[in-house]
Amino acid sequence: MSLTDLMTEAKADISKRTKILTKVGDHRPYDCFNCMRCTSGCPSMKMLENKPHQVVALTNLGLVDELISSEMIWTCALCLKCKERCPQRAAPVDLILALRTSAVERQMKVPEAYMKALSMVLDIGLIQSFQEIVSRDMEPVTRDTLGLPTPAKPSEKFKSVIVKTLTGET
Amino acid sequence: MKVAVYWGCMILTSQYAYEASVRETLPRLGVELQDIEGVSCCGAPVKSIQGEAALYLAARNLALAEKAGVEDLLVPCNGCHLTFTEAMEDMRNSDAVRSKIFKWLEEEGLKLSNYPTIWHIVDLLHDKIGMRRIAEVATQPLAGMRFVTHPGCHIIRPSNIPRVDDSENPRKLDELVEALGGTSMEYAGKLDCCGAGLIFAHPETSAAMAGLKLKSIQDIGVDGLVVSCPSCQQVYDAKQAVCASTIRSELNVPVLYYTQLLGLAMGLEEKKLGLHLNQSNIEKIVERLGRQFG
Repeated sequence: MSLTDLMTEAKADISKRTKILTKVGDHRPYDCFNCMRCTSGCPSMKMLENKPHQVVALTNLGLVDELISSEMIWTCALCLKCKERCPQRAAPVDLILALRTSAVERQMKVPEAYMKALSMVLDIGLIQSFQEIVSRDMEPVTRDTLGLPTPAKPSEKFKSVIVKTLTGET
Repeated sequence: MKVAVYWGCMILTSQYAYEASVRETLPRLGVELQDIEGVSCCGAPVKSIQGEAALYLAARNLALAEKAGVEDLLVPCNGCHLTFTEAMEDMRNSDAVRSKIFKWLEEEGLKLSNYPTIWHIVDLLHDKIGMRRIAEVATQPLAGMRFVTHPGCHIIRPSNIPRVDDSENPRKLDELVEALGGTSMEYAGKLDCCGAGLIFAHPETSAAMAGLKLKSIQDIGVDGLVVSCPSCQQVYDAKQAVCASTIRSELNVPVLYYTQLLGLAMGLEEKKLGLHLNQSNIEKIVERLGRQFG
C-alpha cells in the first residue's frame, strides 16, 4: 500500500523520485530535516506562496506527479537563498529546476515565455533578436547607431546539435 | 591584461549601455577586450527546460572562448557568470556528464581542453586591477554623493562553488564605489533578489518585487543605485515606471551600471557611457557632479 494525498487522491511513486534525483544539479532532498529555513527566507514565499520545504518534502514522499503539474515550481525566482542557507545542502532551487525539466518532458503546462526563449535560441542562438531601443530623448537606437560590432551567428551545425541535446540523443 | 569577453543575450540584444560603458572604461585601465565569435545563449533560461542542453550551451561558449586563445574570460552578466561556473563544476564532478557534453561539442567541431579563468566586472576591477589604480583614474571624484549597491544574487551565491564576493556580506561593489570618492550605504534588503528571475512566469510579481526594493532604497535617500548585472538593471531602470505603477507608488531612483559610474568619475562623455539609454532619472547624478547632461 502506498501513500495517498487525500486532497487529490494522487499516489506516491518512489521510482519517479529516483528519476528526479538523477537529473543534472546539486540537489540532495533526502538530507532535508524540514527546518524550513529555505521557506522562511524565500522572496517568492511572500509574493506567490512558494514553499521550497514543501517541494522537498513532496519529492521525498514520491508525490512527484503532483509537483510537476502544479504552478508552484514556476513561482521560484532562482535567487539561490534557499541553497545558500540550507544546513543540509538539500538545494531546493536545484530540485525545482529538475522538476521543471520533468514538467517539460511530460508536456505539462509550461510558462510560454520559456518555450519562446528556447525557440529563439534554436533559431538565432540568443533568447531574443537585437532590439531597437529608445533613448531618453525617444530616439531609436540600435547596435549599429551606437557603433557596437555586429556579433557573428553560431555555426551551421549548432542547431542540429542543440536539438540532439534537447532530446538527450548522443 | 587581455581578456576574452562573453557578453550574453541581455547585453548583446538590449542592455547596450553596459557593453558601451565596459568598452569605454576597461581599456583605459589596461584591460584589452577581445570578442568571441559565434557565441550563443549561456544556457541559463534552458536550465528550466532541459538540464543537459543548458550544460551544452555553457560548454560550447567556453569552448569558443578557448578557441579565441585567451585564458581569462570576462563575463559581465551575473546569470551567465553563474551558469558557466556551475557548468564547469558539473563537468569536473562527473565523467559521465563530461563525456556526453564533449561528444556533442565534437559534433559541432569544438573542443574544450582547458577551463578558462572566469572574471566578472566586480572582481576583475576589485581584485585584479585594484582599488589604487581605480582611485587614480577617478579624476572627477564623487565627493559627497551617497549610493547603495545591489550586487545581485548570482555572483554571490551559492558559496559552495567559486563566487565573486561573500554570500552574506558582499562588500566589493561598495568598495569600488568608495574608490571613486562616493559613499556606499548599507541597507536591509541588500541581499534580496531583483525579481528578474520571475519575469518569464510571473512578470507582474517580478515588477512588484523590484518595486518594493526600489521603494525601500528611495526611503533611505540616496543619489543612486549601482548595479552590475543586465537583468537587475533592466528591471530597476528600464522597468522602473512599471514597478512604480505595480506597487501603486512613486519611484524616482537613478539606477546605473558601475562601469557607467566609473566612466563619469573618469570624466568621460555621458553618451559614450550609454547614459542616454538609462530610463531612470540619472540627470540627477550627472548634475550633482556639476556637469550638463549631453
